[in-house]
Amino acid sequence: MLKTILAGLRARTARLVLSSIAIALGVAFVTGTLVLGDAVGEQTRDNFARSARNVDAAVHTAENSPNREDGIPADFLQKIRNTPGVEGADSREFGSAALLSGEGKARNALVQPLPTTEKLRDFNLKDGKFPVKADEAAIDVKTAQIAKLKVGDKLKLLDKDNAEHAFTIVGTYQQGASSISMSGSDHVVVSPEGLRTVIPDQRVYEIVAVAKAGVTQQQLVADITKAIGPGYQVQTGEELTQATLAQVGDAAGEIKTFLLAFAAISLVVAGMVIYNTFTILVAQRTKELALLRCVGANRSQVFRSVLAEALFMGLAASVLGLLGGIGVSAGLQTFISTFGGPSGGDDNPIRLPISWVTIAAGFGVGVVVTVLSAVLPARRATRVAPVAALRSQPDSSDDVARTGKVRIAVATLIALVGGAAVYFGLQQEKEEPAMFITGGATMVLLLAVLLLGPLYVPLVNRLFGKALRGVPAKLASANAGRNPKRTAATTAALMIGVTIVAMVAVVAGSGRATMNEQVDKRFPADYAVKSNVYSQPLSPKFTEDLAKVRNVAQIAPELRAFGESPKLEYADVTGYPTEALGSLVRPDLAAGTLTGLKDGEIAMREKEAKTAGVAIGSTVPISGKDLKVVALIKDNSYGTGIVTLKTAESILKEPVKGYQNVLVKLAPGTDITQARADLERFIATSPVAVLDSAAETKAELNSQIDQILLFIWALVGLALIIALFGIANTLTLSVLERTRESALLRALGLTRGQLRQMLVVESILMALIGAVVGVLLGAGFGWLLVEAISNSEFTISFSIPFGQIGIMLGLAVVAAVIAAALPARRAARNSVVAGMAEA
Amino acid sequence: MSALVSEVGTRTAAAAHNLVKVYGKGDTAVRALDGVSVAFQAGRFTAIMGPSGSGKSTLMHCLAGLDTVDGGAIHVGQTEITKLNDKDLTKLRRDRVGFVFQAFNLLPTLTAEQNILLGLELAGRKPDKEWFDTIVDVLGLRDRLTHRPTELSGGQQQRVACARALVARPEVIFADEPTGNLDSRSGAEVLDFLRMSVRKMGQTVIMVTHDPVAASYADRVVLLADGRLAGEIHQPTTESVVNALTHLGA
Ligand SMILES: Nc1ncnc2c1ncn2[C@@H]1O[C@H](COP(=O)(O)OP(=O)(O)OP(=O)(O)O)[C@@H](O)[C@H]1O
Ligand SMILES: [Mg+2]
Repeated sequence: MLKTILAGLRARTARLVLSSIAIALGVAFVTGTLVLGDAVGEQTRDNFARSARNVDAAVHTAENSPNREDGIPADFLQKIRNTPGVEGADSREFGSAALLSGEGKARNALVQPLPTTEKLRDFNLKDGKFPVKADEAAIDVKTAQIAKLKVGDKLKLLDKDNAEHAFTIVGTYQQGASSISMSGSDHVVVSPEGLRTVIPDQRVYEIVAVAKAGVTQQQLVADITKAIGPGYQVQTGEELTQATLAQVGDAAGEIKTFLLAFAAISLVVAGMVIYNTFTILVAQRTKELALLRCVGANRSQVFRSVLAEALFMGLAASVLGLLGGIGVSAGLQTFISTFGGPSGGDDNPIRLPISWVTIAAGFGVGVVVTVLSAVLPARRATRVAPVAALRSQPDSSDDVARTGKVRIAVATLIALVGGAAVYFGLQQEKEEPAMFITGGATMVLLLAVLLLGPLYVPLVNRLFGKALRGVPAKLASANAGRNPKRTAATTAALMIGVTIVAMVAVVAGSGRATMNEQVDKRFPADYAVKSNVYSQPLSPKFTEDLAKVRNVAQIAPELRAFGESPKLEYADVTGYPTEALGSLVRPDLAAGTLTGLKDGEIAMREKEAKTAGVAIGSTVPISGKDLKVVALIKDNSYGTGIVTLKTAESILKEPVKGYQNVLVKLAPGTDITQARADLERFIATSPVAVLDSAAETKAELNSQIDQILLFIWALVGLALIIALFGIANTLTLSVLERTRESALLRALGLTRGQLRQMLVVESILMALIGAVVGVLLGAGFGWLLVEAISNSEFTISFSIPFGQIGIMLGLAVVAAVIAAALPARRAARNSVVAGMAEA
Repeated sequence: MSALVSEVGTRTAAAAHNLVKVYGKGDTAVRALDGVSVAFQAGRFTAIMGPSGSGKSTLMHCLAGLDTVDGGAIHVGQTEITKLNDKDLTKLRRDRVGFVFQAFNLLPTLTAEQNILLGLELAGRKPDKEWFDTIVDVLGLRDRLTHRPTELSGGQQQRVACARALVARPEVIFADEPTGNLDSRSGAEVLDFLRMSVRKMGQTVIMVTHDPVAASYADRVVLLADGRLAGEIHQPTTESVVNALTHLGA
């Protein structure tokens, strides 16, 4: 039997190569996603753990200490350094300052002192050296890239009185990931003395220490605790690492969940392609298997031979796929680090961790799916009476058996479950569970739709076929409809991919449309002037002068104040001048009126009011003041609510330094270009002020959405490639299967070109069936998701990004043409006589 | 009618001149046709016979423009088809030649009627409704027109193939063992029909066969052996054909 198997493998090289590629691609896809997930996790862990690198003991202010805000007393660092057993200690601190780089506006920068203990530096030097002198600085590589700075350049940091302090850049470094590096600001490291010149009163919240050789971490902790006294939390380095990693778990987990969901999808897509390929392969061999039976092989021998062949192929292809998957992962990592994905765009080395899970999943997909795909049709093949099989024509009624009742019943059941889950998801008030439950439910519905494929795929095909003219196109439609199960399985892979892209595109598109609407509605001001640097708000003087600029009709400075309330978790209010309310500030009102808001009154966010249990007319205590609730607003962009400037000032603990944001309205009929030029000229007088318009805000928000979309498109693009390969594979195999038919058509007068055209149209038909059904499903699912995410406070209006969907359909057609190219060439090249002779 | 038949009977529908066809190269080269010269009159039913491997199918494929030749010339009507490129050959097959093969004549995706009209559709020609009805009725296919090939018996499938070949009124119909897969009754039906199409409709038919009974339906039998012409029989009977074949050693 082994000889027969090997001979068979040799004889059917072309078909086997095709199916092996299908398997290998599927495996590559699954393992690629898993490796990528592990790599991202490992990289994040590594980056985060960097901040705990070499640390033997860490001192923090205690969790519930009353003077937590004040940080660790300044003399502690010296105390700890003097503790026996401590080799070195440094504070982990950072302050915020405005960075001026030659030309342009100031940017927000986080300034850190360089730890004097070399082991405690949680960043890796890339170029040059670390700062030693008070006027030297090193910058993060990302900062260098964005601010266009290099070693040798000068940079200026502004202190809070806007005095400039010049530094020479002596080096660049790679920042470890931490809560500091994740904030989008620029990063600068200076010497401890350098830091004092810019931020003299920076508070310290963490001190880390390294032990002398031979001193254990526990010992060190005990010594330090003794030296500094009670009231502070002292951790061993090990504990610090664990605590840091626990925090990372949350951040990396999200990415991993996303990738795992994607791996699951890729598994299904790959499984479908493999299954389909093998089903065709075995169906084509039905005759050969029957012949084996006729010459005396028994049922189980035939069965085993098919199985052994599948196992062999599955194993070989899985190895290839595994290697390919590692390549895919490397490619994706390059893509992410080039375009900036969830890892923050740091230029990290490409990592290829290969876990047992990955290998098991790879071989699981490759071998198990292949063998399963072979078992079902092989069982069918061995059940057919040998003689009947010998006589059978391709696509005789046997293989094209009607969609089973069981299949319909199962699909209906799944659809009901999915429907119920969608309903449940829509009921959820909170955004996240609503999104996850509804999202999961739509995938269940997708499964039901896929199962029912053989029912509606022929219908769709007939619908499309009606629009076709010419003999080759009609023949193509007939071919696509000849085996509904096969066509359904072929289109299924594409359908899954397109459904998901369409769904994401619809949700993102709706979100974008909603955001643009909101920007228009909530941004009645013509411009906003903002401070680029958080620690440097726009001064009251600047604001006053702004109001005097030509053509400026009205300004509204915005003051955010953080207070406390016994009834609320957070109590941050946004203050505006009364006269701006209702004109320059127009939130979505749920009840009451905003116009004429008086001091001591608040227009409260509806949701917060509910939490606090207050209604219009009652009062809410914030920072010791009882504010009277006069209106309820739906927006969440004003914190707890809107108050007058005076009220906000009274909640603020320190005197007003300035405003982060000032809304500007121009006089009616003003020439925009003229006004903008005037404003820009005025704003140039401040190092930190920038001009913002509704259009720019929109562009900024849109670019954020586009970045998310880009990542998803990249991943889904891979799914599409596999799906299209599936089409090419099915087509090639059916071309092989239909050699005689093609020859007959050629004998009857079909030209080579027409034969090619027939196959191309067939391919396009299959791709369009998958893509169109996918788009419809995706749009429907997207609508469900949008409905689910929307709640009383935040309504997303459904909108379909026709452009993107059009592009997708266009791509599907182009890819279908490419998929058909090889099989069509092959079919047309075959000579008529040779084709007719084919058994 | 008989005047018409005798008039066209003198015209040549297809002819081979010194035809050579070699398969393979070097040691394994097979001269499937080794200088065959033969002419087929229009409006006649000609059978090609000979032992297995004598080159019958090869000759027919070459005559019909399905295969290329290595030497000699072939004419279909006035056209020297050995000089045509693939595109023109395809057009020739579509417009001027009809086929009936031993098996697998029909496209499984099309109904009997669609199969019959396929050639005309490819040529972009309108079917002659009367002619179509005549053929369908003569072949007894009226109530089978909406069936697909898998729902037809072997004999019915061959009759559908005959109908397809005839409906376009080609200059020549080539048939390679059209009854090879059929029982004697179904075979006789198909042969009767082919003979009738020649006698009554003035069709030209060239048929390859192994069966002396089938050959006896023809007006003339051309004998092949080892890729060469090995004689011919006019107005053959089953006995005369068997005799001739025995001489050839088949
Ligand atoms: N594609 C091919 N490659 C190589 N040799 C071939 C090929 N086709 C036919 N031959 C050889 O050419 C010779 C003639 O073949 P052909 O098929 O014309 O015979 P035939 O008379 O039709 O036989 P049969 O009665 O068995 O159908 C044979 O010796 C055959 O082996
Ligand atoms: Mg033959």
